[in-house]
Amino acid sequence: MTSPAWQRRRTAAGQLWREFRTNRGGLIGLGVLVAIVVLAVLAPLITDEGGLDVITATGSPLEPPSGEYWLGTDVDGRSVLLLTFWGARVSLLVGFAATILSVFIGTLVGIVAAHFRGWPSAVLLRITDFFLVLPSLVLAIALSSVLTKGIWTIVLAVGVTSWPATARLVRAQTLTIESRPYIERATALGGGHGHIIGKHVLPAVLPLVLANTTLVVGSSIIAESTLSFLGLGDPTVVSWGSMLQTALSSGSVTAGAWWYLLPPGLAIVVIVLSFTLVGRALETVLNPRLKAGR
Amino acid sequence: MLVVLAVPLLIAGPVTQPAQAQSETVLRVALIQEIDHLNPFTASFSSSAMIGRFAWEFLTLPSAEDATPTGGVAEDWQASDDKLTWTFTIREGMTWSDGEPVTAEDAAFTFNRIMSDPKAAEANGSYVENFEKVTAPDERTLVIKTKAPQASMTALDIPIVPEHLWSDVTDMAAPETDELDLVGVGSGPFVISEYRPNEIVTLEANPDYWRGAPQIDELQFVKFENADAAVAALKNGEVDFVNRLTQAQFDSLEGEDGIETNQASGRRYRELLMNPGATNIEGQPIGDGHPALRDVEVRRAIAQAIDPQVLVDKVLGGYGELPGGLVPPIYEDFHYMPSDEDKFTFDPAAANRALDEAGYRKGPDGVRAGADGRKLEFRLTARSSEDYGLRASDYLAGWLGDIGIKVTKNLVSDNEVDETTSSGNYDLALSGWGTNPDPDYILGKQTCASLPATSGSSSSNAFFCDETYDELYAKQAAALDPATRAEFVKQAQARYYEQVPSLVLDYDNVLEAYRSDRFTGLQRQPEGEGQIMEQTGYWGFYGARPVEGGAGDDGGGVSAGTWVAIGAGALLVLVGGGTALARRRSAADDRE
Repeated sequence: MTSPAWQRRRTAAGQLWREFRTNRGGLIGLGVLVAIVVLAVLAPLITDEGGLDVITATGSPLEPPSGEYWLGTDVDGRSVLLLTFWGARVSLLVGFAATILSVFIGTLVGIVAAHFRGWPSAVLLRITDFFLVLPSLVLAIALSSVLTKGIWTIVLAVGVTSWPATARLVRAQTLTIESRPYIERATALGGGHGHIIGKHVLPAVLPLVLANTTLVVGSSIIAESTLSFLGLGDPTVVSWGSMLQTALSSGSVTAGAWWYLLPPGLAIVVIVLSFTLVGRALETVLNPRLKAGR
Repeated sequence: MLVVLAVPLLIAGPVTQPAQAQSETVLRVALIQEIDHLNPFTASFSSSAMIGRFAWEFLTLPSAEDATPTGGVAEDWQASDDKLTWTFTIREGMTWSDGEPVTAEDAAFTFNRIMSDPKAAEANGSYVENFEKVTAPDERTLVIKTKAPQASMTALDIPIVPEHLWSDVTDMAAPETDELDLVGVGSGPFVISEYRPNEIVTLEANPDYWRGAPQIDELQFVKFENADAAVAALKNGEVDFVNRLTQAQFDSLEGEDGIETNQASGRRYRELLMNPGATNIEGQPIGDGHPALRDVEVRRAIAQAIDPQVLVDKVLGGYGELPGGLVPPIYEDFHYMPSDEDKFTFDPAAANRALDEAGYRKGPDGVRAGADGRKLEFRLTARSSEDYGLRASDYLAGWLGDIGIKVTKNLVSDNEVDETTSSGNYDLALSGWGTNPDPDYILGKQTCASLPATSGSSSSNAFFCDETYDELYAKQAAALDPATRAEFVKQAQARYYEQVPSLVLDYDNVLEAYRSDRFTGLQRQPEGEGQIMEQTGYWGFYGARPVEGGAGDDGGGVSAGTWVAIGAGALLVLVGGGTALARRRSAADDRE
């Protein structure tokens, strides 16, 4: 682990953190995110999951916020605070899992398309274009209504519809990197495809992929909420989208139960905003073109 | 990012035309349920059956006042002494909306078609099962001969269609039978004039209607995706009538200016279907129901693990009545309420014991498995368009989980629920039926004879086929003394209750609301206390008349809740849009 390459990378990471620190928006976003993730992970320890069960719910339906229920109760008499709390787990899980899927596909396609010129590139790019012009919501709805309902279906639906932008981005970056002299040198010294992609291209592309990832998480969370809101989510777990769906279908909106709508809505806003802030900050640090502009 | 735009649109509801010009009075009804067919032979959703009731007159129908039989196409009727032959005198001078006269041949054609064509029997087949022969000796006389005396002869809820158009139809299930050149000719108070699936059904007043033309010009059924959008539209004056309200909506509409609410005992029951081993009429198994549900012990254990009181209190907000037999308490003569010892009382411990004894042992994961090793994992099919389906399924899954039965919720569209339940491809399903003042229809749906001829036809309700039940059903159909008949009706329901091919969960109250500043005279059935929409008959909207100098469109009725919803939606759009823009910009920056 003390090879020069690793030392160099550690220095680069330190440099990255120093620059990131100067971006106040990014720092706030990161702080909020860390707090939300920690709370969501600890949810089973600090709250009682039994409160999510409609049968054992203690409150009466649609109670406004009070000392006992800080954010009021839902139509089944469950605490909205608790539901929002647990909803974060699903939103984050789906957000991250779908992003990993999407970024994995995107990076793979992008690098391969840029590295291997000729017909593989042409084919991959046409596929990318196809997915790019396809309305992703419609595709996601179609996928999640055909497949069995569940969290992983949503992950799949969101993941396979949101990768083309990443693929385009990675391909562009790969092309600029591969045009540099050191890659030519490596090829001349006998470096194969695996060596060039693994040792040179991937490390150089990864920072950008990372910045892109944080942005994709935000949109994946919105996509998940949208699908759940449309009733295509996993019916067995509480998510922010499904809370909004129940609020609407049970007539709580008409009944003026704002405490049932605002928490999940604001939660989505806050979490997506945080991811966007962090993503933008990372991008500013990592993208040389954006940095030059300052 | 288009994703997010859907949110406020859903809340604002479909864009409907603002109030029409004064010359035309249009009563706009929000329809939340889907329409399966307009063809009256195949229309089995309450929404579609209701539209058929406006467009085609019945032979006789229950009156608005007290649901006693009153004349429709027939002005007079008589039974022979042995009660096997019924002679109906057809009303003179009635015409179809295309000008042709309504004759006894039209009625004879309608009944004969249902008797001879299984596809035509889908919606109303149970009424004619016992018919031997229907003839029209002359234009104004219709003679129906039955195999055994039938008590429901004056309550045949079958729209009479014009023979000169429908006799050309070869395939009753064909989509063309829902088209206007066929369904657009009727004899009821309104005639279907426009149909755009999943959008709108328009009915025009029939100026030649024999009772007299309605006092409104048009009746529109506008499809809404969810009840909240419909309620917002009612408050804004975009629609004039909304039914199937949730309790929260109903409470919020009470006391609202210009809106009248109506709570009535319902004629519908809700049930949990438990696939007792679906077969077709030849006894061949159809569908993919879980084999364990064929065991009546399992079905009884499920019935014991469910607490209807909680469902009524929490999911229906108290706007419902506790269950017994298939016939709701609004028809008190025929309503069956089990005695305390026969009743399934909520007792998970007893249900657990019963399942243990029946040999369904709990596995290490807490899920029971039968002797064949197949786990008790049931799918629960329910409507995603409906609050009840969404929420009650949570309760059911929880209760059944407590007795070691794993439930997977399967929330789908109305049409899909209909398809899966009528083809036997379900384990558990939330369903329900509207009943008529005469119990024959709903009881007939549970007999062996109504098992489907082809997979997917919806004549049987729960795929129940039981000899004892069939005997009791035949006895009630033959009994002409009301008290004896009521006794058999109750016994048949008791047998059904005990065998639980489906468990009745409650009888919903009807919760409706309309713009009383625009329309008045909407007739309730029974008078003064009953419901307005989805009656057995057309009285509700037929009686409607515009309020003199009534406000057309007051516009300012958007509630605080709606604004909050719109605000939340707008926020989502802003953030979503912002993210989208940010993403696009970064992508643009990085493009070569």
